[in-house]
Amino acid sequence: MTATPLSAPAAPARRAWITSPALLLVPAILFLSVIYVLPLIDLARVSVAADPWWTHIARVFSVPLYWESLVRTMKIALTVACLCAVLGYPTALLIQRSRGTVQALIATAVVLPYFIAILIRTYAWMVLLGRNGPLNKTAIWLGIYDEPLALLFNRGTVLLGMTAVLMPLMVLTIYSSLSRLDQNLIRAALAGGAGPMAVFWRVLLPLTLPGVGAGFLLVFVSALGFFITPTLLGGPGDQMFAMHITQQADSITGEGFLQALAVVLLLITLAVVGIAGRMMGFEFIWGGGKLAAPVQTAVPEQRGTMAPPRRSVAMMLADTLGWPILRLMGRLPANTGAWAVRIIGAIVLSALILPILVVIVISFSEASYLTFPPPGWSLQWYEKFFSDSNWMTAFWNSLTIAALSSLIAVVLGGTAAVGIVRSEIKYKSALMLLLVSPMIVPPVVLGLSLYSLFLHLNLVGTYFGLAAAHAIGGIPIVVVIIAASLQAVDRRLEQGAAVHGASPLTVFRTVTLPAIAPGLAAAVFFAFLHSFDELVLSLFLSSPRMKTLPLMLWADINYQLNPVLAVVSTLEVVLVVGGILLARPVLGRSRGAH
Amino acid sequence: MIQTQTWRDPAREAAPSGKTARGADIIGARISLRDVVKRYGAFVAADRISLDVEPGEFITLLGPSGSGKTTLLNLLAGFQGIDGGEILVDGKPITPVPTHKRGFGMVFQSYALFPNMTVAQNVAFPMRMAGVDRATSDRRVGETLEMMRLSEHAHKTPSEMSGGQQQRVAIARAIVMRPRVVLMDEPLSALDRRLRESIQIELRELHQAIGSTILFVTHDQSEALTMSDRIAVMDKGHIIQVARPLEIYRHPQSRFVAGFVGESNLIEAEVLERREDVAVLRSRSGHVFQTGCRNVPATGKVTVLVRPERMALHQSPQPGTTPATVTSALFLGETLRIEAVIEGGETLLIRCPDTAARELPETGSVIHVGWGAQDCWVLS
Repeated sequence: MTATPLSAPAAPARRAWITSPALLLVPAILFLSVIYVLPLIDLARVSVAADPWWTHIARVFSVPLYWESLVRTMKIALTVACLCAVLGYPTALLIQRSRGTVQALIATAVVLPYFIAILIRTYAWMVLLGRNGPLNKTAIWLGIYDEPLALLFNRGTVLLGMTAVLMPLMVLTIYSSLSRLDQNLIRAALAGGAGPMAVFWRVLLPLTLPGVGAGFLLVFVSALGFFITPTLLGGPGDQMFAMHITQQADSITGEGFLQALAVVLLLITLAVVGIAGRMMGFEFIWGGGKLAAPVQTAVPEQRGTMAPPRRSVAMMLADTLGWPILRLMGRLPANTGAWAVRIIGAIVLSALILPILVVIVISFSEASYLTFPPPGWSLQWYEKFFSDSNWMTAFWNSLTIAALSSLIAVVLGGTAAVGIVRSEIKYKSALMLLLVSPMIVPPVVLGLSLYSLFLHLNLVGTYFGLAAAHAIGGIPIVVVIIAASLQAVDRRLEQGAAVHGASPLTVFRTVTLPAIAPGLAAAVFFAFLHSFDELVLSLFLSSPRMKTLPLMLWADINYQLNPVLAVVSTLEVVLVVGGILLARPVLGRSRGAH
Repeated sequence: MIQTQTWRDPAREAAPSGKTARGADIIGARISLRDVVKRYGAFVAADRISLDVEPGEFITLLGPSGSGKTTLLNLLAGFQGIDGGEILVDGKPITPVPTHKRGFGMVFQSYALFPNMTVAQNVAFPMRMAGVDRATSDRRVGETLEMMRLSEHAHKTPSEMSGGQQQRVAIARAIVMRPRVVLMDEPLSALDRRLRESIQIELRELHQAIGSTILFVTHDQSEALTMSDRIAVMDKGHIIQVARPLEIYRHPQSRFVAGFVGESNLIEAEVLERREDVAVLRSRSGHVFQTGCRNVPATGKVTVLVRPERMALHQSPQPGTTPATVTSALFLGETLRIEAVIEGGETLLIRCPDTAARELPETGSVIHVGWGAQDCWVLS
């Protein structure tokens, strides 16, 4: 009577490579190679297809129009990044210091604008600063001046608008590095006799400097390629570099020069990211989440060689510059610092939220032009939106494209995330860099590079073409969110299931999938939102017969500012608020996992 | 086999004379808590706590998590506001003084060393904040590092050091100013056992050498017994008992203290007779034994504490023993740990030293257990 074993011994591992998780990376890499890397290479090829090869590129740097615009773009981007850092730090501190409901409200005030389309937020600033906008009305009512001022279309509005649009990125990056600090460090500094100012100067700031640096770079790089906000808020003297590319694309100049403009912008962006990545690690692009063994082991080595000289220089600076200032600050009333944080934070939060509120209010206006406060209330603009077949067609187009695009992004990005986290291959960080790099490529450059590919493939103005183009930016979002969720899954649970006889697929279905389900839902939502809001690629890749909602908005904003736009904006806010409420638990978790 | 021990008067043998046992000046402050209250919403973390700490004393707040010991430390450090009562340091209320002006030292469980500074810079931090001149600061930091045997690590960063070394740096930072009060929040619980024991001894000697008042928070009873001048046992926001370690261990005032500090056999018994200096009790199982008269009423029921190591183990019946059946017997190295149940009565825990004469009893075998009048402590 011998007992027969309940399960047969496992099959030999001869097909091991087929089950390797690294294979999961293949679809996403193939997709991105064809639709993202190759077009960029082609773009570069066209830009140097002249005799001699540098003709076009030399022209970019020799014609004053472009050269001056390039310098202007750098200056604006630098100013915006500095403004974001200086104003964003106190705001991040305010979030970190508040508790309970207040904290949730402040965090929402930062996160909500982060997910609303740049186009809509820029439009909100146009409403706020318009001739009959709330700001002019309030100033006149207060008797500061008598006639409404032209607040729009100058360098100041460009800086204001871009700072406001990019602020959430900075605040969230700094907050994530603040929240990772051991709170006992602050207590230890206090117990060691450091006043609040000294705690900030000697402990808080030095330890969160990497976070500030990451935020600064993300904002700077995004600002370099900015197109929507300066176009809408700037005057003739505020042309940014990306704007030339679209203008040149409209008036078809010589083949090659246009591409050279794009290549210059791309190279500058890549150079900034490359230098920054060498110094602080490329993780800053996706929010500091560590990948796996290779990256982790590489970091301490780097620190060992790089950190001490930098630290002592920083220390010297802190000592020579900081101490006298600190001594002076010490004479200020005890709560000066705390009040400065509150006041700056309040200003930033109102600059983030007020424009959106004003737009929501205006959408219920009775007037047929933009004025605040509305003379009376009505739903006529909602009626107009829902009864206008052009708007409704664009709305359904956007929904269809976004649904298709998020499907592509989640399938490709999700499998790639599993491949990245679970495989043991070489060059993992390089692959991760490839997967998330669309985040930093200026959309204008991407749009231009895709245009010729789409012409060849007859994809211009098709649902699939736009969905695929939007998925280029959707994949990084999905990869980052799902990779973070996967890393939070306890490997021992999966091993436990496997030991008790579950096949790899069953393990994934019964253990892994339920654990990452919230992350998956968030990824779907944000990929959807990314496509739903996308304007710049669509400008290049749609046809007159194929309009998306952002394209309609863009055309209308340039033509006339009417309250129908406010209706669309309000609907978008409702969509985002709904999404955030659904994704709230997930957001908290993935941010903590960083 | 019955051990006889005389216990000394629990009152303090000597009032502080201004010198520690090692001859250092006592620089510590007198701390007085008066009806201190701290609430978190409806939860009362400190419920009218009063406590007097002598200058230069090493006092441990001992209790399970959630008992309010860390809350009390945070209130002293000024990390949280007080909801009632007052805290006096050398007779002056400390509540209005912000943390950074209190001039205390503090050691954290997570070390909380500034990762952006070297060891020397970490230790110098309080001096720099106090505006001490460079030369004095360098000298004092040097002395303190030497005292903690860290001199050769002065220019390392905390991340380059082991946990034990990091904690010694944190201690150095807390004492470099020779503060009147040093607060320690479970500073050893992140270390492994062997390291913990060596730092315990080091801390004890350090306390003698600097003469500061030390408030030490822990949930580890053996740590508290080893290090403290006095222990305050806490539970649910109250201080249950404050006494010297020996007193806490031998004469706990409640079941909670008896159970939390050390292992215990609590025997329910009925008073049969109370004479001049000795009382006769009978346990539930019918075992009749004698105790001292303290806390014993003329009639009624009492709870008697007998520590496992005071239990005597015999192979054959002796006067004053009771038979018990072994349910578990473990060899733990220097001691044997035996559980045995008295028929119709209580389960007893017995610990006895490993000697050549004794074999580990078999499970199920019958042993004879007894204890003397001096080994009993009647809970009040």
